[in-house]
Amino acid sequence: MSVSRAPRKRAAFEPLAPPTERNPRMRRPAATVAGGVLVLLRALSGAVWGAAVLFGLPPWLRAIAGFANGDNTIPAEETLDDLGLPPEVFVGVLGVVFLVQVVFGILLLWGSNAARIIVMIVSTISIVTAFVSWWQVGAEITVATTLVTLALDILVLLALSSRDAAAFARRNEKRD
Amino acid sequence: MTRRRRRWSIGHLLDGFFFVFAGLAAIWLAYLSLTQAFQVGWAGVLLAIAFWGLLAYLVLPRLHRILTSIYVPDYFMGRTRTSDGLLGDPVNLAVLGEREQIERAMAAAGWIAADPVGWGSSWRIITSTLRRRSYPRAPVSPLFLFGRMQDLAYQQEVAGSPAQRHHVRFWQCPDGWLLPGGRRVDWLAAGTFDRAVGLSLFTLQVTHRIDADTDIERDHIVESLTGVSGVRVDVIRDFATGYHSRNGGGDSITTDGDLPILDVRGIRIPDAEEQTSPASPADAGVER
Repeated sequence: MSVSRAPRKRAAFEPLAPPTERNPRMRRPAATVAGGVLVLLRALSGAVWGAAVLFGLPPWLRAIAGFANGDNTIPAEETLDDLGLPPEVFVGVLGVVFLVQVVFGILLLWGSNAARIIVMIVSTISIVTAFVSWWQVGAEITVATTLVTLALDILVLLALSSRDAAAFARRNEKRD
Repeated sequence: MTRRRRRWSIGHLLDGFFFVFAGLAAIWLAYLSLTQAFQVGWAGVLLAIAFWGLLAYLVLPRLHRILTSIYVPDYFMGRTRTSDGLLGDPVNLAVLGEREQIERAMAAAGWIAADPVGWGSSWRIITSTLRRRSYPRAPVSPLFLFGRMQDLAYQQEVAGSPAQRHHVRFWQCPDGWLLPGGRRVDWLAAGTFDRAVGLSLFTLQVTHRIDADTDIERDHIVESLTGVSGVRVDVIRDFATGYHSRNGGGDSITTDGDLPILDVRGIRIPDAEEQTSPASPADAGVER
């Protein structure tokens, strides 16, 4: 093998390149859409929960909840008295949380990396808190309590931490 | 300058942490939904389906992705890889020529280009499989070689339904890339026969099961193309005899290891008349 040919040859192995190349024109991947939509759903579920506390659930919805529990008992309703908050504070806090979640959901759909990191940190804290109270305190996580919220948190984290979502959020970054 | 580089790496460290943490959290969620499924009566059936969905489409792919990035080396070993990093269909064809020449040869040999995977095409392949309707341009799942998804994908439907089909994916090789052993080729391809729809052994996802004897499909592709004028075939014997195993869906694969090299450089493209002189097969291993 002559030396003069050597520079033109390359070793027969794959380069250790990242599996997704930075591409400013890449299409929005399904994982990003799922993450954004789930955050919006989480905002909606918070609003519905707040409305249920303020105005009470309609009887048919409570019947379905009882059926889903498997024993056909109508679950007790939460009311503002249980929380011990004045209605203005309750609506105010809930409204701010709702707005923040909607803004972050839209930012995620646009592909903001800062929004992605912040949402992942918040979900992680929320999941760790739930896990500690489940493992240490023995808090029950069921459909009737916090399973749906927890599931949304975990699904958001899974979607946003995927390679596709990361590549989309970093699509405009310069390569170092 | 240094600050920018530092922030870049912290961001990627965070990404790695969340990637693994989300996988662990998803295992916990799957456990919670499984225990709930036995406690909530009829709604438990829905929870059990949710458990399978979680496991098959989120938990296991994430676990495979984490583990394979640790223990599957990322160099060419005659196998494609799935989006989860598992070893996929075997590479069993090589091509010399340009993209347009391959497209012309495949069209002339009766192959149909697959639609890109998207919401619409995915929905259509599901409905047409269930209703046993024809969908000749059905999408093929992404497989990866050189860290890239396939560049071209072709198929031939069998019995008027996307459940069974011939299909082949093509990847362009990086510039100056050599096959193990030193031959130079422009494209690599992986052809397998989808024989039925089933569950993947590794991820439990709904997927196509492939025919174990991948040589039949390879020879079918080669035979269909040798009928096209301007296509020549050369074979590297026993190229991949060491790589019998399973593909990414857990289906067994066997092969005699031969790697046919299809030379399509003899196909003329009307608008690019300058590249008219096809090199002889003897030149294939030498630099061009």
